[in-house]
Amino acid sequence: MATETQTELTYRPNVDICDRGAEVLIVADVPGATPDAIDVSFDDGVLSVHAPVPARTLPGRSLRQEYGIGAYRRSFKLGEGFDASLISAECRRGVLEIHVPRLAAVRPRKIAVRTA
Amino acid sequence: MSLIPFRTKRATGMEPGSLATLADFRNEMNRLFEGFFSRPLQTPSWFETVEPGRWLPAIDMSETDRQICVRAELPGIEPKDVDVSVSEDRLVIAGEKKCEKEESGEGWTHRESHSGSFSRAIPLPEAVDPAKVTARYDKGVLTVELTKSPTSTSRKVPVLAGSP
Repeated sequence: MATETQTELTYRPNVDICDRGAEVLIVADVPGATPDAIDVSFDDGVLSVHAPVPARTLPGRSLRQEYGIGAYRRSFKLGEGFDASLISAECRRGVLEIHVPRLAAVRPRKIAVRTA
Repeated sequence: MSLIPFRTKRATGMEPGSLATLADFRNEMNRLFEGFFSRPLQTPSWFETVEPGRWLPAIDMSETDRQICVRAELPGIEPKDVDVSVSEDRLVIAGEKKCEKEESGEGWTHRESHSGSFSRAIPLPEAVDPAKVTARYDKGVLTVELTKSPTSTSRKVPVLAGSP
């Protein structure tokens, strides 16, 4: 759904989220976004994504427009326990992958059960 | 005497500007739902064909005097997994967005993206030359450029003034 900020029209990208224990993986569909201009930030437990998309440049007379052109913007409240310094992101083929590692101290670990 | 202070149309009439206000409200509602209803919603136009259970990529289409340009949003696709075929009056975009092994495992708490096979047959407004078609895939968007057939029967009709 489109929302309009004061300066640009934005859209919420579709996302898939996977909790892998040691990290949380967020995969967002951002077709048309310029990878170099994507901004991923983490502040106070909230991961924010802003991916600008260049304006529509189809030649000639428009016959059909089924998708809007605007920046992708979405935020995720992850909470505490994440290592912001190790967050990594990669954008390929219009898909943005963000790896958010958990702090070592809070990562789930298996506890061996000793028998008497 | 009416207990409800309800103004009838006869009493108030249609004040100047009221139609503009209604248009503004309509336009605001249209804008509000634009992002939702502008997408195919898995429902093609009456002239398109789609197989049940498949998702449809959203497209943009434009034309010049010589070309028709179609763009489809297809994030996460390998170019080799997209099949573009053209007849004189129809463009078919089909393929499969493969789910990688790690994406099909456990732990996925939230799923919004589309995956699996897709197929969309798009009627073209004019005949094209199937031999003069280019397709490229960049940043998750497939762009197909089709050259109109020189034998196309479409032509511009000048509008004359006056009665016949």
